[in-house]
Amino acid sequence: MPTLYSPNCSYSVYYSRLATSSSSSLSGCQHRITVSSIPKRLHSQNVSFESPRNHRRNVVRMQGGEVAATASLPANETPMTTFKDELLKIKSSEEFKDVAGFDFKEEPTVSITVVGASGDLAKKKIFPALFALYYEDCLPKHFTVFGYARSKMTDAEFRDMVNKTLTCRIDKRENCSEKMDQFLKRCFYHSGQYDSEENFADLDKKLKEHEGGRVSNRLYYLSIPPNIFIDAVRCASSSASSTNGWTRVIVEKPFGRDSESSAALTRELKHYLEEDQIFRIDHYLGKELVENLSVLRFSNLIFEPLWSRQYIRNVQLIFSEDFGTEGRGGYFDHYGIIRDVLQNHLLQILALFAMETPVRLDAEDIRNEKVKVLRSMKPLQLEDLVIGQYKSHTRGGITYPSYTDDKTVPKGSLTPTFAAAALFIDNARWDGVPFLMKAGKALHTKRAEIRVQFRHVPGNLYSKSLGTDLDQATNELVIRVQPDEAVYLKINNKVPGLGMRLDNSHLNLHYAARYSKEIPCAYERLLLDAIEGERRLFIRSDELDAAWELFTPVLKEVEDKKIIPEYYPYGSRGPVGAHYLAARYNVRWGDLCI
Amino acid sequence: MARCYSPCSSSPTTFLSLSSFKHEGLVSGRMRVPERRNTTLISHGYPSLRSRKQFELKSSNGHPLNAVSSPDGLGGKSSTEEPVENRGKDGPVVYSEPGKAKSTISVTVVGASGDLAKKKIFPALFALFYEDCLPEHFTIFGYARSKMSDEELRNMISETLTCRIDKSENCSDKMDQFLQRCFYHSGLYGSEENFSELDKKLREKEVGRLPNRLFYLSIPPNIFVDVVRCAISRASSANGWTRVIVEKPFGRDLASSGELTRCLKQYLSEDQIFRIDHYLGKELVENLSVLRFSNLVFEPLWSRNYIRNVQLIFSEDFGTEGRGGYFDNYGIIRDIMQNHLLQILALFAMETPVSLDAEDIRNEKVKVLRSMMPLQIDDLIVGQYKGHSAGGKSYPGYTDDPTVPNDSLTPTFAAAALFIHNARWDGVPFLMKAGKALHTKGAEIRVQFRHVPGNLYKRNFGTDLDKATNELVLRVQPDEAIYLRINNKVPGIGMRLDRSDLNLLYKTRYPKGIPDAYERLLLDAMEGERRLFIRSDELDAAWALFTPLLKELEERKIAPELYPYGSRGPVGAHYLAAKYNVRWGDL
Repeated sequence: MPTLYSPNCSYSVYYSRLATSSSSSLSGCQHRITVSSIPKRLHSQNVSFESPRNHRRNVVRMQGGEVAATASLPANETPMTTFKDELLKIKSSEEFKDVAGFDFKEEPTVSITVVGASGDLAKKKIFPALFALYYEDCLPKHFTVFGYARSKMTDAEFRDMVNKTLTCRIDKRENCSEKMDQFLKRCFYHSGQYDSEENFADLDKKLKEHEGGRVSNRLYYLSIPPNIFIDAVRCASSSASSTNGWTRVIVEKPFGRDSESSAALTRELKHYLEEDQIFRIDHYLGKELVENLSVLRFSNLIFEPLWSRQYIRNVQLIFSEDFGTEGRGGYFDHYGIIRDVLQNHLLQILALFAMETPVRLDAEDIRNEKVKVLRSMKPLQLEDLVIGQYKSHTRGGITYPSYTDDKTVPKGSLTPTFAAAALFIDNARWDGVPFLMKAGKALHTKRAEIRVQFRHVPGNLYSKSLGTDLDQATNELVIRVQPDEAVYLKINNKVPGLGMRLDNSHLNLHYAARYSKEIPCAYERLLLDAIEGERRLFIRSDELDAAWELFTPVLKEVEDKKIIPEYYPYGSRGPVGAHYLAARYNVRWGDLCI
Repeated sequence: MARCYSPCSSSPTTFLSLSSFKHEGLVSGRMRVPERRNTTLISHGYPSLRSRKQFELKSSNGHPLNAVSSPDGLGGKSSTEEPVENRGKDGPVVYSEPGKAKSTISVTVVGASGDLAKKKIFPALFALFYEDCLPEHFTIFGYARSKMSDEELRNMISETLTCRIDKSENCSDKMDQFLQRCFYHSGLYGSEENFSELDKKLREKEVGRLPNRLFYLSIPPNIFVDVVRCAISRASSANGWTRVIVEKPFGRDLASSGELTRCLKQYLSEDQIFRIDHYLGKELVENLSVLRFSNLVFEPLWSRNYIRNVQLIFSEDFGTEGRGGYFDNYGIIRDIMQNHLLQILALFAMETPVSLDAEDIRNEKVKVLRSMMPLQIDDLIVGQYKGHSAGGKSYPGYTDDPTVPNDSLTPTFAAAALFIHNARWDGVPFLMKAGKALHTKGAEIRVQFRHVPGNLYKRNFGTDLDKATNELVLRVQPDEAIYLRINNKVPGIGMRLDRSDLNLLYKTRYPKGIPDAYERLLLDAMEGERRLFIRSDELDAAWALFTPLLKELEERKIAPELYPYGSRGPVGAHYLAAKYNVRWGDL
């Protein structure tokens, strides 16, 4: 399309952007979002967000946004670590060279260290995502991938392990094995303890070898249990952080169990890291349709006028899995579905959905708005929560186990595997509109979707044709995040034929039909964003605090009162209580109507 | 779906449709049960009564209620009586015994040997019969000058009958049954005597039943009035209703249209006249009001605040092809714009009616038409197709048609910008475009929305924000569809936006097929549903918008811009659009 430029992950488009962009470390991909250049520019502005003109000066000073965005960031009380000051000084000249003369001789390199390389997430998601980025030419020209874990392994063994999980994108399989070989050559392994500064110092030595004197940027992906987060961060930042480039750390959930433990974790992380070195990942934010939510809202005139209590009756955020813990309930039982899905994934989507229009698409602007909307919400009340736990169920000769049948789960566990909640936002836009969340394991279906139900048509001329149940005749916008991505708008339409019969039809955008290219995995997007210093899709500390505040009281109450979950059969539609909760707010779950 | 109903079935749910549209009873067996149930709704206002009152208020023609020869017997009814517009002496009897088939309907197609009759009217009547939408007892008469036996007429008709695709069982059975009810009467269009003979024959068929008569005038306009005179004075129903369906052209301008209406009203009352505009019977045009008024998501957008312009586009991919005689006298503006496109515009732009009753809807349509400024010559582009050779084939110019005068200036293409001076639409250009011998064939409504103010994504759109606006498209034909063009993120890493469609393609969603516009309109006429027919004051208002300009065009002998047969039409249309900062959505 002529009007819409297409920033794929190709090289060398938009030199002008390079000039304004601080992240000269990236030879590709950095131009992929024009606006992504702004945040970096703005990050460097300690004083004001509003001076896009003097970017040249900024560029000199900044390093991929290493300088904290203080202006609107309450959380930025962290002491600066010394290495950071140094790197700023050193990096300036490099940066300047790029800007002034497009001098690529000293191209920086990025080293990605996956801490916990032998884990499931690393094997299933992180390495394949890194390879996909490489395959699509989205990684910088020079990069190194390091696996770090306790197990002894040679580089070759490690490569074998990684190799098993790599796949090429469906749409172009050419050169796949070639590319795979090239990629694997850049993969190395280092065995060490997670809390050993010495082992990390060894790693540092190896990294330096590969970086070969280039400006070095380092990304740590912590794919490890939360109890060793801090140790690993301490060791990595003290013994293996970059001396002349940036160092960033991607952290996976769980970010604590409640407000206090989350705050403690943040406090400790900030001991070693700046706010903008911490990349808290919520992979739902990397999903295509979640990314598209803001595009739908803000680039289409037809949606924005409808986006308020005046037209929207309720919003539903629905997540379901069609399997249980299946022998891996140990971690889950400690957290439960509310912490595992509601407090992070669904709440993040809610915040994106409901936030006011940000000043720009910059990370800080968007996250500021998300924090605002989260802070406008009332903490979840116990009476607005329904919890459930799946019990065993036999169907067609097959017996499905209950949650407590899982050997890794304590027999008397009351941990919810299902939860439905009604949340409210006390602001001018959303006052009185119920935001319903529902998440569960071992349900009849597997999906994630956002459903926006609109109000009745006032004085509907066709009310006689619509029968008595006007609830079924309202418009609904459905954003199906997975599987089978789609956006559709349920409208009332005349059934063709003589007479006047109305029914619900869909104005449909089915991704599989419209876009032949495969949709990238959320981890690809997020990894690339972290490499580029694009923080839009990562959770800032104050966001996390605000999110926990909404759920902590109710979680405490559920646990203190030992509230017993409503049991539902494995593979069912979940506890009936969810319907009563919805009915209380005059809502009907959109996913169970059909 | 429980809340849905299908009016052409005999299921009791039919009553819903009746309640919402207040069809008259008496037409058919299928109506009777519902009609009885419907009595509770009478207090809501029966259309005939309401229409009567409103007509008195609104009609620009100001004819008295009881036209001399009105057989409807409307005038004397008090609003507390059973609101059956058409019942005569027997009316109450019929109504009180709704279970027994006492009424019959005779459809006389005047001009039975003509093209329209053969291609559209008889097939539509058969389709209605096939779908059990006709009353139990009915008679179809062909009337024309040619000598023909009943059998010959049946042969002629049977050639054009087709069964609906979805269920062709019993088709030939049904066809035979249908043909048995078809008869022919030969006569002159201006002969009262001949119509008396027709009356006699009709009576024979109607014997013992309450007769309702529908005349479909499928004849040239110059004999409209003669036929109406003869039919009404000699062959109107004595105690049932008599209605007349009239096809365009309804005059050539305000004066001649007014004259035609005045003449018709000598013999007919307003509610006996059913002026047909078959575009109003098209599925997507019918759906326009449903979309607007039954979906919360559209109504807030339906104004100058959000809509930048509206485009009504009609194109044919063939020329006059040896049948230019009629067309040359009228031209594309009269043939398409002043009626089809303007009617769609009125439906699109009208305020919310009080109810879905015919008179309420037509009142709103008249209001919006009267809020429009007459079309100005600066806001019009006319074109005429010229000969063109493509791929070794040569296509004739308009004036190559032997039935067209060699120096004809008649436009075969026109584009116009119209404006509505009311609070809702002030400043929004309504662009119309219609042409023959273009590169494509279709009819569609395109609604282009404004830019997003302060668009956060404008960097992703490049410089031309016009291409990044939302657009709602209703494709009336062919391949009916509704789609909403939205900006969407192209899946993948990075932020690339493009326009995608939220799409509703009728043939995938509704595989059953869509009835022809004539079926709907014929059924409506039989049922006395006037919603889709054009009232006299509507017609006047429509002509008032186009007449000054048509006069100017003809007096100044403005030469049309010539465009090649099969092209996209004259370039002038783009300049006209550009003048109002609009870009045609179809090109």
